[in-house]
Amino acid sequence: MNPAILIIMALAGAVATGVGPSRWAKWTAFLSTMAIFAVSVVFAVQFPEWRTGKYWPSVDDGSAMKAFGINLQMGGDSVNMLLLLLTTFMMPLTIAGSFSAITERVREYYGWFMLLEASILLAFLSQNLITFYVGYEFTLVPMFFLISIWGGQERRTAAIKFFLFTFLGSIFTLAAGIYVASRAADATGAWDFSIAALTKFGSEQLSEREQFWVFLGLMAGFAVKTPTFPVHTWLPWAHDQAPTGGSVVLAAVLLKLGTYGVYRIALPMAPAGGVATATFFGVLGILAIVVTAMICWVQTDVKKLIAYSSVSHMGFVIMGLFAFNPIGMQGAVMYMVSHGLSTGALFLCIGMMYERFHTKDMEQMSGLARHMPVWGCFMVLFTLASLGLPGLNGFVGEFLCLMGTFVAEHDQPAGYPGVMGPWFAVVAAVGLILGAMYLLIMIGKVVWGPLKVPGASADPHEHAHGDQGHGALSRDLNFREVAILLPIAAACLVTGLYPRMMLDVTEPSVREALISYPERVNQFNAEHGKVNSSAKAKVAAITTTSTEAAR
Amino acid sequence: MMLPSLMLALNDAAAGHGSLADAVIPKAVAAPELRWAGWILLLPAISAVLCTLLAVLRTKSKLPALVTVLSLGTCFAMVLKLYLSRGPDAGPVVVHLWDWMNFSWGGGPWKSFQADISLYIDSLTMLWMLFVTGLGTLIAVYASEYMEGERGAGYCRFFFGVSIFLLAMSALVMADNLLLLYLGWEGVGLASYLLIGFYYQKPAAVAAGKKAFIMNRIGDLGLAIGIWLIWVNYGSIEFNTLFQAFGDAARGVGGWDRSLIPFCLMLGAFGKSAQLPLFTWLPDAMEGPTPVSALIHAATMVTAGVYLIARMQPLFTLHPDAMATVAWVGALTALLSATIGMAQYDIKRVFAYSTVSQLGYMFMGLGVGTAFGAAYHVFTHAFFKALLFLTAGAVMHGFAGQLDLRRLSGLRKVPGFAIVSWTMLVGCLWLSAFPYTAGFFSKDLILVQAMSQPRFQVLGWIGLITAAMTAYYTFRVWFRVCAGPVSYVPGEDAHAHDDHGDHGHDDHGHGAKAHDAHAGEFHPHAPRFAINGVLLLICLGAILAGIPGIQALRGQHNWVQEMVYHSSAVRASGVDHVTTPVAFGLDPHGVVSVFGISAAIGGILIALWLHLLDRRMADRIRTALLSNGLTRWLPTSMENKWYFDEIYHALFRLPMWITSHLLHFFDRHFIDGLLVNGIGRVPVMVGRLFQPLYNGALQGYATSMAGGLILVLAWVAWRWLGAGGVS
Repeated sequence: MNPAILIIMALAGAVATGVGPSRWAKWTAFLSTMAIFAVSVVFAVQFPEWRTGKYWPSVDDGSAMKAFGINLQMGGDSVNMLLLLLTTFMMPLTIAGSFSAITERVREYYGWFMLLEASILLAFLSQNLITFYVGYEFTLVPMFFLISIWGGQERRTAAIKFFLFTFLGSIFTLAAGIYVASRAADATGAWDFSIAALTKFGSEQLSEREQFWVFLGLMAGFAVKTPTFPVHTWLPWAHDQAPTGGSVVLAAVLLKLGTYGVYRIALPMAPAGGVATATFFGVLGILAIVVTAMICWVQTDVKKLIAYSSVSHMGFVIMGLFAFNPIGMQGAVMYMVSHGLSTGALFLCIGMMYERFHTKDMEQMSGLARHMPVWGCFMVLFTLASLGLPGLNGFVGEFLCLMGTFVAEHDQPAGYPGVMGPWFAVVAAVGLILGAMYLLIMIGKVVWGPLKVPGASADPHEHAHGDQGHGALSRDLNFREVAILLPIAAACLVTGLYPRMMLDVTEPSVREALISYPERVNQFNAEHGKVNSSAKAKVAAITTTSTEAAR
Repeated sequence: MMLPSLMLALNDAAAGHGSLADAVIPKAVAAPELRWAGWILLLPAISAVLCTLLAVLRTKSKLPALVTVLSLGTCFAMVLKLYLSRGPDAGPVVVHLWDWMNFSWGGGPWKSFQADISLYIDSLTMLWMLFVTGLGTLIAVYASEYMEGERGAGYCRFFFGVSIFLLAMSALVMADNLLLLYLGWEGVGLASYLLIGFYYQKPAAVAAGKKAFIMNRIGDLGLAIGIWLIWVNYGSIEFNTLFQAFGDAARGVGGWDRSLIPFCLMLGAFGKSAQLPLFTWLPDAMEGPTPVSALIHAATMVTAGVYLIARMQPLFTLHPDAMATVAWVGALTALLSATIGMAQYDIKRVFAYSTVSQLGYMFMGLGVGTAFGAAYHVFTHAFFKALLFLTAGAVMHGFAGQLDLRRLSGLRKVPGFAIVSWTMLVGCLWLSAFPYTAGFFSKDLILVQAMSQPRFQVLGWIGLITAAMTAYYTFRVWFRVCAGPVSYVPGEDAHAHDDHGDHGHDDHGHGAKAHDAHAGEFHPHAPRFAINGVLLLICLGAILAGIPGIQALRGQHNWVQEMVYHSSAVRASGVDHVTTPVAFGLDPHGVVSVFGISAAIGGILIALWLHLLDRRMADRIRTALLSNGLTRWLPTSMENKWYFDEIYHALFRLPMWITSHLLHFFDRHFIDGLLVNGIGRVPVMVGRLFQPLYNGALQGYATSMAGGLILVLAWVAWRWLGAGGVS
């Protein structure tokens, strides 16, 4: 089965939603996303390469449409599959979460959503730089309209900032990719944009200087998308102003395009550049974690707070990716998925609250657990997942990212030397405390405390929204809303308690991504006077063999 | 008369010195036949799920309590079965349940990361599990009556929290690796957060829960760093592998960072067990319902730090000063919190500070090298402190939340409060280490061990002074509340239990006012069967907990000692006993005996004088101290816990808060405002150059984007042609 069928289904869904009558639009969109989810599950079940780290369908079977080196064949390895499943899983839930919130220009809204899904899937399934870039870039268009039509008060500023920021960054990404392709074309005489071929060429043939610039170019786009610390300012705007559905997709899936790019394209294609800039990006990761966590602390708008927390959390992913060892990188992949689940769910919860009270200002509400206990339970659960409580999803990725950073020393027995080391991890780990602080403060203000319903009369038992045109919404969550949050909650628990399911399948892919790193890192460290004395490595080798003998 | 402490100490020294100091921890064997022990983790989880379901079904019955009690009781029965089937001196076993965070890139140490949900069961585990599940069950029974005013969603929520707590605590104690221990560690923190904030409409309760969680997170950071350091140095975080690495000098990578391991673990232990400098959360945690204070914040969770250090005993030899640091922190915490406890008026707060203080003794015991003494004190303390809190809870339950010891008196003569008063007396005697009680034996072991090493003698004296203070503040409570003439003022939630269980906490102010008008009509709400029965059972447990002490006194082996010495806690630091006179011609044992007994009795007598015979004298002393400018600081700072909260606020929270605001300002106005918007304006200017008629922002941007894209595409086309030309 060709995974391209998923993209075609999404496009067909977009057309059907746009052409059909308005009152069917939401159901058309919901059913198409559900169908896409079902097909993707079938696809995942059939996927034969879960534990091998190989691509499927094989990228260079030569049979696919191929023109100007641009191969339209879709496919991927286990990491692509995980991100694909994350996308197709979150999409129907997001659409169901928009049912009552979107009352104007319904067809357009759901049409754009289906287009958004199509372009995300295109990006995650492309094994070709150009088609990847098309998908990656085209996500901007639906998001731009989603924000600027259905957004909040300052939606235009937010939409423009979002569009320009990410667009400006990704121009450099395209340029860097094309540079590698053109050098490859010089060498081989034929153009080939397949990511595998470019990775091979880039990591083996390009000089260190070239790799350095290529890496920076690639990162310019991915860092904005992730977002990394100084180029994150579009995100609070976009999240704050986007409609709930937009925020959920943005947090759950779109940010992962950035880290996926780092993982799949930037790091493998220009390893020397990655090594040379690892300290720099490590520092940026720390700044993201600590500085934005502190900024979260003083937010009064719930949605902005969660938006900033996304920046803080993606800092952990950056740390994990630049640790250059399996622990950190597997942590980063885990964290991409679990951040998608828990932050996406938090945005959904906030959206449900906003629909009822039309405010996101924490000063105006308090003790909502009493008003809507079911909502309160979900809110607390996803907050705990977000602050990395062991047993829930966030912990696995967070812990592994930090641990990977911690062991990324130049003189390290695991066989994967790194350039960061304990101090980076210790400083970044302060984020664990700060994360608990701002999230519990938020929960303490919104969910706990004496009851204060925004805009309500003195009697707390009266419905707060009687005459605001949303009489259809019950006081607490209704069946639809519970049905949206419940699957995510289940996914959070399962990922938290049985992460092996994912760790096992990402391990070969991660090893593949790291293949040229140990040697490069040793070389880099040696140039900077940090010789891998192998003292630790020797002890490790001796004891490993001795224990193996003992067994 | 044979001085009791002499024999105790000799016994301890004989068992703990010499041969045991070099003892190798036996290698754990896999025991797949014990897989049923996994139910000890599963049952509380099931009970938590059932409580949630009952909440969804909107039950108003006591079903959640029944479910929880049944599942915890079954857990206790299984722990007992496990214990009986193993005996006190069986070697450690590992029971693998399921894979958790487990992946490898080669195999062997350093090439894999293994942290599974599997159990490491040795006698230390059993010791802890016995009292955790036993007391957990009893306290759940007690809570079924205590919390009945909350029946409905609150009742479900409460027992959900208790189930989660037992689940996490069992995971912590039975973990076979540090990461599962960390899961339990944070899990008990979560349960504690949820239960402290149980009355979530009270801002103080919410703040206390938050504070507990965040303070614990600071400690957890230490634990996490410790785990990473251990992995870097030993390539594994499984207890079995780690303990074996210590039998083999070649194992382990000797980095500079290795000696930091004990200090990192210590930070975690001090956070969880409320020691200096992270102790300030525990007194505030008393905002939670009293059964929670008894179970979590007195008997079980707060001993997790002691468990961690006892479990990781071998690693604490990595730095020569690690154990001494533990001892000093413990002793100073014991002393400091005893001074605060003497000046509190809230019964639960007095007991909370006494918990901090007794935990200090336990750490001191570990630090000076008697893991037996520390574990035994944990064990006895679990009973008598749970008992004290539960009696305080019964008083609170009966007198509408009244906990001020100045407003309660003569309770033993109030109908229905006899059992409460007399069991409280037992708790008080045990806490003040009255001779021949369980509390006396366990405290004695610790103090003798400290006294008999020259470098720890100071700590021994600190411990003795603290013992006198403990006896004083403990009996201050009892003489005030239970003895004397009958008189009481009901508390603020006067009729919260009667008519509006659902929203009783909305009407605090109203209830109090209504009550003051008809104070004469107040009838204390005497505890019924569940509360009284549990009090008697735990009282019995506290009395029986003295048996190992008596056995030790007679020079017999006792099972607590056996259990500690057959576990990883066996490797106490080397001990050099002295028998030379310490003071007044007495050897260490004599000193501890004479001074320990006189401290306890002296403290009780002072309390008797000031708080029963001449109660006004205590107030006069306080007034005298307050009126003198030179001594005013003493009572005020004792009542305000030496201003620790204020100091932390000024040193950490306030600067961070200001920095956060500055960073937010910087982010909005510098990064976003100046840099981003500034760069964003460049295209507009360029756009103006080319298109003076259209100066809208969007058009400007669009132009520049299009321009940029065209340039890139042109370059591509050029390269393409060039490449084509080459080929």
